[in-house]
Amino acid sequence: MATQSDTDQIQGFGQVSRTTGVIFRYLLMGATMFGIVTLAILLVYVANDAIQPLTADAGWYLVFFVTFVAPTTLVGAYLYRTNVDALKLGLLVVGMLAVTLMFSGGVAIVFVDIVPPLVSLSYAIGLLVPFAAVVLMTKYEDAIPFTARVAATGAIFFLSLFGIPGYYHSIPEMVQKIPVVPTEWVIITLVFGGVVAVVVGQYFARIRENTRAGVVAGVAALAATGAAAVSGMFTGVNPTALAVVAAGAFVPTAAYAGGAALTREEERIGLLLAAVVIGGSLVGAGIVDVLGFAGPQSWVDWQFLTSSHSGTAENAGLYPAIGGSILLMVTVAALSFPLGVGAAVYLEEYAPDNVFTRFIDVNISNLAGVPSVVYGLLGLGVFVTYLGQPTGTVLIGGATLALLILPIVIISSREAIRSVPQDMRQASYGMGATRWQTVKNVVLPEAFPGILTGTILALGRAIGETAPLIMIGAPNVLFNLPTELSSKVSAMPLQVYAWSSLFASEDFYTKAVPAGVVVLLAVLLAMNSVAIVLRNKFESES
Amino acid sequence: MTSNTDDVLSRRKFLIASSAVGVAGLAGCTENNSGGSEGGDSGGSEGGDSDSSGDGSEELSGAIDIAGSSTVFPLATAMAERFQKENSGVNINIQSTGSGGGFANYFCPGDTDFNNASRPIKGEEEDQCANNDITPVELKVATDALTVIVNNDNDFIGEGLTVEQLQTIFSAEEAPTTWSDVNSEWPDEEIEIFGPTDASGTYDYFIEAIIGEEGPGHRQDYSATEQDRTIVQGVEGSEYAIGYLGFAYYSENTDSVQAVPVENDEGNYVEPSLDTALSGEYNPLSRPLFTYPAQESLAEEHVATFARYWMENSTSKEIVADEVGYVPLGDDEQQEMLDKLNAAIEEAN
Repeated sequence: MATQSDTDQIQGFGQVSRTTGVIFRYLLMGATMFGIVTLAILLVYVANDAIQPLTADAGWYLVFFVTFVAPTTLVGAYLYRTNVDALKLGLLVVGMLAVTLMFSGGVAIVFVDIVPPLVSLSYAIGLLVPFAAVVLMTKYEDAIPFTARVAATGAIFFLSLFGIPGYYHSIPEMVQKIPVVPTEWVIITLVFGGVVAVVVGQYFARIRENTRAGVVAGVAALAATGAAAVSGMFTGVNPTALAVVAAGAFVPTAAYAGGAALTREEERIGLLLAAVVIGGSLVGAGIVDVLGFAGPQSWVDWQFLTSSHSGTAENAGLYPAIGGSILLMVTVAALSFPLGVGAAVYLEEYAPDNVFTRFIDVNISNLAGVPSVVYGLLGLGVFVTYLGQPTGTVLIGGATLALLILPIVIISSREAIRSVPQDMRQASYGMGATRWQTVKNVVLPEAFPGILTGTILALGRAIGETAPLIMIGAPNVLFNLPTELSSKVSAMPLQVYAWSSLFASEDFYTKAVPAGVVVLLAVLLAMNSVAIVLRNKFESES
Repeated sequence: MTSNTDDVLSRRKFLIASSAVGVAGLAGCTENNSGGSEGGDSGGSEGGDSDSSGDGSEELSGAIDIAGSSTVFPLATAMAERFQKENSGVNINIQSTGSGGGFANYFCPGDTDFNNASRPIKGEEEDQCANNDITPVELKVATDALTVIVNNDNDFIGEGLTVEQLQTIFSAEEAPTTWSDVNSEWPDEEIEIFGPTDASGTYDYFIEAIIGEEGPGHRQDYSATEQDRTIVQGVEGSEYAIGYLGFAYYSENTDSVQAVPVENDEGNYVEPSLDTALSGEYNPLSRPLFTYPAQESLAEEHVATFARYWMENSTSKEIVADEVGYVPLGDDEQQEMLDKLNAAIEEAN
């Protein structure tokens, strides 16, 4: 039979025409481009509706062309021809500033409107005190039996966080009852700015191999954060928000750029690009303001980002939905990360290869493909109907979304753990380490970037989900940010859905909906870019 | 890095940090008043445009959960938006579930404080609420003209439709598939029907007013949706479509679809409008809209204040008619509702 078909092929060989191959090739290319082009057209359409670039003055375009577009293009082209690595560095700094601005804006929302800084500080202290006690205890590891240490650890954390109701206040309660406290921006500057300053200081101490340089850098970072907050009091911007943004975006970006300037002599020219982009846009904005040229009448503006829903599309905003999405993501990450990574470690490192594990394996892969509406129904059935929780709260929404992405987190964490070379484990065992020590000291640190990348991508999926939130009864319209786990929550995609379906006026459809879509996509792109940068960085290192 | 330099680093840091704390402690301290009130004053301190609330009164705070009719949803949203501006501590959230869906799944189980309805509450719903110790208080909030819409290109219906014709089209009894089945002069084209789901009060009211509670009931082979926008889009997209919804959604889309004049009890074809609904000329499809606060929730001050606020503004032409598109209450009706509400609030306390 084999010889038969061989001769067939040989006979047919002479009749093969090149056209078929060419057509096939272009058909494949068409298939590749079809989805991308369709999506691109849709996005351009939506972005055009949301930002309305054609409504800007010609002068506005001219100013920004001269101050921003032309210099950026020139510097970019020069770098591209001479030094591609420098170009990459410059782009990374610009991207880092954009992404950290977005995320620190989110953190600022949390501190300004959701958890007051004093409350966060009180819990930070409440966690820090027992943590210090535990660290102290490990110093005397040999003197205390293991079970006693475990029990003491548990007890210290419990006493510190919860106290004994009626007899003894927990540390957070005590801190919150102190009669005189620093103002909110001082707390943020010291705690948030302090942590960033320590990190920045250590970074500089390491690259300069000089403790003094680290201290100077750390103090400068703290001072910059404080200065930003103080400037807020004169310009009327909320100082707490400014302190968060300075500590979360400006200081780290500046530190990274500074560090690169000191260590990467070949590529430091790339920072010119960042300077041109940032300087050009600032100068452009200043000139436009002075000359009075009107920019595009974008629906994605400050008002849209900071106000809540309104009956008229012009005044409608996304703020409660943005805050809701942030809280949901925090809840989802807090629930799905330990569960998912725990399951992945068990399955990769501990589980025996038998029928039961293979059964679980197949099920997890299948669960990752289950439609989100089914998870919504699951959340509704388990949390609302069975456990009797109120509908549409942060906790229920977060738990449902966490269930939804749990299989994805498990699968990507397993991939990351599996990619840790077997040799490293063997070496660890060879040095007499136990399996637990190997997992803790070798496998998890090595797999961590991969796990983080997978988790961020999974969170990116969760932030765009609408169906589960509709199923668990999240409200269509909400005017305030949720302040606790049991308050009702809205989310960005849900708000977009509500605008597109419940409000009949054409205005909502052509203004609020595209603006919401643009914001949602921007957040999603920022999350994905963080994941991609992390992955590339650690791939090139290993 | 050796642990020695690490120690030096952290010790220095500690000194610097503690001196900074000391300086800041002198410079930036404030009296702590957030211990008792759960941080209620952290939010609306900036942006000095919202100081309209009375100075003497204590600031209200708390959550108000509202579900129910999609017809009343825009009105509730408009009221909540205004109330929110004056009382930033009150957190109102509104969900559109349909009148029946809201009663059965949210209000009577005790999950929501208000349920909007575009028809009066049913006996079985009252029973369900009573089982959970929820007492609904019926408050009329506006009058709606339930509107039948057809495509803009539809010219064959002429003057309008009679109640009998509507009954023929929407009843399960004959369930005509083409327009010519209803009237032999009309084209032999398939009827595409759009309407709200059976969770909707609009659906219930349509049955009551047109099809009749007895008999075969509403036909089920139609495109049912709780999103009124979908009904407008469906009818806009097909020349031989027909559908019905609340007047507010039609009034936002007068260019996209046309409203069908319906023959009233005097034999005149009347177009739905705020005027004809108010005068009673547009019948039998003009109907009252309600909201049902739970008497138990009215014991909480912020819920009671919001209910009063809604009733006090229920005569506002600006909100109810111009912004949302329903007929506001008359002064007598408003007084009646306020009395009823105040009695309920008193009883709740």
